[in-house]
Amino acid sequence: MWLAVSPGLLAQFTLAGLMMGVLYALMALGITFIYGVMKTINWAMGEFYMIGSFVQYLIVSHLLGPDLWWLALPATAASVFVLGMLVQRLLLRPMFVGGVERRDEYATVITIALLLLLRSLAAVINGPYQHTPGSHLPDVTLGPLSVPGAEVAAAVVGVLVLGLFFLLLHRTWPGLALRAAAQNRIGVQTAGVDLLRLDMVAFGIGVSLAAVAGGLLAPVYLVYPTNGAVATTKGFEIIVIGGLGSIWGALVGGLLLGLAEALGSALIAPAYQNAYGFLLLILLLLIRPIGLFGERARVV
Amino acid sequence: MRRQHLALAVVALAGAAAIPWGMDDYALGVVTIGFYYAVLAASWNLLAGYTGQFSLAQQGFAALGAYATGLSIRDLGVPIWLGILLAAAVSCGMGLALGLLTLRLRAIYLAITTWGFAETVHITLTAGYQVTRGELGLSVPTLLGNLDPLSYYYVFLGLLAVSLAVLYLVCHSRIGQFLRAIRDDELRAASLGIDTTRWKLFVFALSSLLTGLAGACYAHYVAVIGPDMADFSELAKIVVMVVIGGMGTFAGPVLGALLVQLLTSYLGQFGAWDNVLFALVVIVLMRTYREGLVALGRRLWRRLMAWMHPRVEVAARG
Repeated sequence: MWLAVSPGLLAQFTLAGLMMGVLYALMALGITFIYGVMKTINWAMGEFYMIGSFVQYLIVSHLLGPDLWWLALPATAASVFVLGMLVQRLLLRPMFVGGVERRDEYATVITIALLLLLRSLAAVINGPYQHTPGSHLPDVTLGPLSVPGAEVAAAVVGVLVLGLFFLLLHRTWPGLALRAAAQNRIGVQTAGVDLLRLDMVAFGIGVSLAAVAGGLLAPVYLVYPTNGAVATTKGFEIIVIGGLGSIWGALVGGLLLGLAEALGSALIAPAYQNAYGFLLLILLLLIRPIGLFGERARVV
Repeated sequence: MRRQHLALAVVALAGAAAIPWGMDDYALGVVTIGFYYAVLAASWNLLAGYTGQFSLAQQGFAALGAYATGLSIRDLGVPIWLGILLAAAVSCGMGLALGLLTLRLRAIYLAITTWGFAETVHITLTAGYQVTRGELGLSVPTLLGNLDPLSYYYVFLGLLAVSLAVLYLVCHSRIGQFLRAIRDDELRAASLGIDTTRWKLFVFALSSLLTGLAGACYAHYVAVIGPDMADFSELAKIVVMVVIGGMGTFAGPVLGALLVQLLTSYLGQFGAWDNVLFALVVIVLMRTYREGLVALGRRLWRRLMAWMHPRVEVAARG
């Protein structure tokens, strides 16, 4: 069975896995980033991925055409950023100012309800149809391998967005405030930062990372109301693999997961592609329960 | 057992046993499914509400139970009762295994890992279609050989009553105190000599046993089961039920399950919009009143008592 796969094919699977890993990392980064600042898990992350893919599809197919997909992407990210800020303002801010006692419980239920709301709303509006914005990008040949252009473009732009995110975080004042908030929420307030507004921005950035992943993958996978479910699964698996709150963990975890899935599909069976990540996760948990880059919480 | 609780339980059981005479078959079916969800919600509450183990795998165990009995009857030819017992055993064993795996995990890691487990059950049931028939659904023989809604109503009422009795005994014993101690401060509980590992595993095993049992009975009631049983939306429903009823209270999950079940069946008339409306109701409830039905009931009860015995109220204040 191992020898049934030629080295060339194996290389192709590895490459495909790494490229997918970049986009998984975007999802995971969004989750980990929101958690880092707000200490809240957003279970509806995949729904923002879904919205991102729909917005991208609508702009590309009705406004700009497949050649200008790169122009549609910032518009997608911006609109989901605004939506995310709105959602945070209306639903999650009460966690911090509304006297909510059990914050984790509240956040979990409200984001799960949000997941249900967005997913079923999309199902009602869209119906059972599946769309694709299409792509005019030619296949790219890398040595003996040929890879669909949209996939390569997604991976390349994914890397660019990751770079942009790092620049924002490490070279700007808001980035500094966000990193400070991730370290100490009270400390950043005493330094005069409007934490409530910062939370909105952080949530907006986090969900727009998911939307970018959705928009980039729109031509690769189909666009439909439940396409966020798989994306969420990947995102959360990476979080456990890499360690919650760790940005490097999200990156390395994303690449590892993409690789594990691609090689699992190539060597064992493709139908279980989505289960290999979980196997990787279990193996890792047995060795290191806080993930690769997670920090051991201090128990007082 | 406190006398008031016993009296309340008898009244509730008698009421539930008498209710079917006023209902048509459709309503009976709705409440029967409500009982099924009540078992799931109550056993999840044992994990999350009483012990603080925010596991998100309950729907996976229900599906495991359902498929365990369905597959063992189809492939091994065992009788139905043995199939159900096997289902309970399989779920219990898997629950124990998951508990062992996640023993060292805290809060959000536990949630994500258990959720990943349930997703994997979902994926495996879908992808392993040579065995499970995947999305086509697996046919399972009905429990009583007929489709009489009234008898299934009593079967599920009995299942719920037994599950609740077991949970009551656990929660109102020393074990229940251990569990709450673990929830409130695991380290301190351990330092007081509570074997936290043992009781956490116990809770995982018990809650997945009850859930697997309920899943198996459900399979023998609906006759065709699919991988959707392990879908995340099932868990969302369970969580919403428990939180609406009151997390960490004994009656909350049951009340929440029945209320949510009635609400969703009422919303069913809006066709595709039902889930949208349901999610909106949950969001509005969470934003406005989030302590749960049980807390609301207690407050009303106190108000009523104060109104009936004004002097007692004054004395209590003094």
